[in-house]
Amino acid sequence: MRRHRKSCPICEMGVRIVDYKDERTLSRFTTERGKILPSRLSGACSRHQRQLSTAIKRARQLALLPYIRGYAR
Amino acid sequence: MTNRYEVVYIFDSSLEEAQVNEHLERFHALLKTTEKPEPIRQVNHWGKRQLAYTIKGREVGYYVVVQFDAETRQLAEFERLIKLDESVLRHLIVIDEGATPASAVAAPVEPAADDVGVEEDE
Repeated sequence: MRRHRKSCPICEMGVRIVDYKDERTLSRFTTERGKILPSRLSGACSRHQRQLSTAIKRARQLALLPYIRGYAR
Repeated sequence: MTNRYEVVYIFDSSLEEAQVNEHLERFHALLKTTEKPEPIRQVNHWGKRQLAYTIKGREVGYYVVVQFDAETRQLAEFERLIKLDESVLRHLIVIDEGATPASAVAAPVEPAADDVGVEEDE
């Protein structure tokens, strides 16, 4: 059974604007294959979920995050 | 209109720091105007980093993050110069929103981890 979750993990960290260069934090919001976690699972508020998705996409362009984890190499 | 921008360069890792600085100077010379002789706010060399996937056959890139002020109309020429440079593997120019620096975000993994677990447990 899923616990009811109210608080957004990004808000809890006291971050107002998500940084696309911080791949350690961003990777927590991706699945093991590198997809962006839906807010249903990430628990992020809509404001931060939007920022997260942009930040993850930027981080992918910069090869900080993989497009597909476990692919190639 | 002047805006704050942020650009991330990924240089070929075979370049030395001095060579990278040469390239940077060439790019940044274009941003200097008479009204704004010092457009560069901050230059941050991350140095060599493992790429998450190969770019042009390279596994490692030399990252540089730069914050600067520029007129919007200057950007097109600035970006064209970067694109023409073969030693830049990849670049990204975005408006600097003053994001919280990465060090401040180094937060515990605990809160989200149990949520992620739902999918991984299958």
